[in-house]
Amino acid sequence: MNLFLSAFFSGTARGAIYAIVALGLVLVWRGAGIINFAQMGQAMFTTYIASTLIISGKSYWLAFVIALIAGAMLGALIDLLVMRPLSRVHRAEALNSPAMKAAIPVIASLGILGLLQALAGMFWAGQERGFPAPVAIEGLIVAGRKMPFTAFDIFTIAIVALVLVLTSLFFRKTGTGLAMRATALNQEVAKLSGIRTTQVRVLSWIISGAASSLAGLLIAPSSILSPTSLDLILIIGFTAAVVGGLDSLPGAVLGGLIVGYVISFVNFYRSPEDIFLAILILLLIVLLVRPNGVMGSKQVRRV
Amino acid sequence: MVLWVASRSDVFKKNMIRALFFALGILLIGSFLDPYNQSQLSVALIIFIAVLSITLLTGASGQISLGQGALMAVGGYASALLILNVNLNLWLAIPLALLVSALAGLLLGVTAARLSGPYLAGTTLVIALAIPSLANRFESVFAGEIGFSVDFGNPPHWLDNLIGEVGIEKWQLIVTIIFATIALFFALNILNTRTGRSWRALRDHDLAASLQGVNVGRSRIFIFMVTSAFAGMAGALYGLRGIVSPSVYAVSLSLSLLTAAILGGIRNISGAMIGSVIIVFLPDWIEAVTSRFSVPTRISDYLPALITGLLLVATVVLSPGGLSGSIHHKKHK
Repeated sequence: MNLFLSAFFSGTARGAIYAIVALGLVLVWRGAGIINFAQMGQAMFTTYIASTLIISGKSYWLAFVIALIAGAMLGALIDLLVMRPLSRVHRAEALNSPAMKAAIPVIASLGILGLLQALAGMFWAGQERGFPAPVAIEGLIVAGRKMPFTAFDIFTIAIVALVLVLTSLFFRKTGTGLAMRATALNQEVAKLSGIRTTQVRVLSWIISGAASSLAGLLIAPSSILSPTSLDLILIIGFTAAVVGGLDSLPGAVLGGLIVGYVISFVNFYRSPEDIFLAILILLLIVLLVRPNGVMGSKQVRRV
Repeated sequence: MVLWVASRSDVFKKNMIRALFFALGILLIGSFLDPYNQSQLSVALIIFIAVLSITLLTGASGQISLGQGALMAVGGYASALLILNVNLNLWLAIPLALLVSALAGLLLGVTAARLSGPYLAGTTLVIALAIPSLANRFESVFAGEIGFSVDFGNPPHWLDNLIGEVGIEKWQLIVTIIFATIALFFALNILNTRTGRSWRALRDHDLAASLQGVNVGRSRIFIFMVTSAFAGMAGALYGLRGIVSPSVYAVSLSLSLLTAAILGGIRNISGAMIGSVIIVFLPDWIEAVTSRFSVPTRISDYLPALITGLLLVATVVLSPGGLSGSIHHKKHK
């Protein structure tokens, strides 16, 4: 029973982080039609920035906020410098088939990932370092009994819940959120109704960048920080996004939790080596049985 | 617009001559190089075979894969097991390994034929990660992180008698030239025949292609099989350089294959060659430059990765056709 509870709580905390990663991916997919494979590269980079600030004696919360801002700026830069010029390229007419149009941004984001990793290696000498948590990461002791969760788990779940509430309020109650939803639904129609879709695009990248920074900050305490240490999280986040449905924001949260539980239970009941296999099997089952994901609404895959 | 279609035997003959010229050219270049560069050249040839699989898969038929490294791992493990457990020599082990990876490609194709674009990219990336981890999962068969140690063996005596002492590096180069030439010949034939035309039709408009009588699902699976065979051949040779282990076929290998394909130009075979040479020799070239200045190691260690990343982004934004593509493009203007 204790093992089950430990797996459950650890799965919830992990799943909450994966939900944020998936949310970042889904936002950019909805806003720009791109799967951003550089996302965890951005997270790694901004977590290094936070780590450097903390090491130089600044407070955790200052570093936290600066990392989020840096993540947002990095997201905007990627859109302005790479992805927007890319969408305007019509020079090579041979590359204009729909298949290649989908492939090119993927490749560009992989290039950005490589670039960010190399830069992080140069700035921080590629050294692996730990990353502090604001609260204890050991098992919490309440009334003399060791609980199956840690204070950091609760911190993570609380922060993620807060972010999700704010995001859903943003999308439901504000005009900008409405514009973003309209653009995701149909870009042409949104444009015709006077929405500046290029601004919506940048905004998607900005929010997604900040979200991935947050994910990096929350993951780093329970692993090490190195230029490539967050690569695996991207793959997990991608699986979460596909499980939930690539175009659905609530789906991203659900997908994140599902993947979190799968990973946690495989980890506790079998061995960590089976995790990737479990992810692959989960991904293939979802793609074969429900290609649009659990909560994906429209047909996102074209013929 | 093609108004005159060469007869099949004409095309075969032409491609045979091209492939032979390629082999002789590389052999000539190789004979002027020192042993280190000879072995680098054979790595470039191995990468070339693997990049060909991407050129055919992504460039010719429009399906993106980030998991070619996993298929290379299948080829590498198959050949290592055949060589070590069944005592086959590499001339038998590599073709068999190629068949095994074609089978793996069939499985992959059956699941992936329905996917496209980013879905396919993400799924193949997960596969690239999951397959090498199988080596740890079934440690008794695949020897875990340690892996197998295999090599190209010694050159046969008649070769020594024929052209004098053949070093290990030169033997490695000769073997890879033979397999690269075979791969090149097949790639040229695929692209210039009916099959290649149907693949391109699939890439440009799959609905239109199916109206022309191309069976979309079956063709996609077939494409995965064929390109996996290329990747498997490359993987077997890549392992024979010394060690077959999960870290040899890491995800980064899959990504550098894609980088090579894009940099050189994903549209044509010369692009695959240019890209593989760049990817393999770039660190050496950078080293040659940085060794003249006092560059701190933390910069020089990451300089190749930085420059490859920059080149990749710049290529995609400025000239998505890659180096060979931009030359090709200008010529036709």
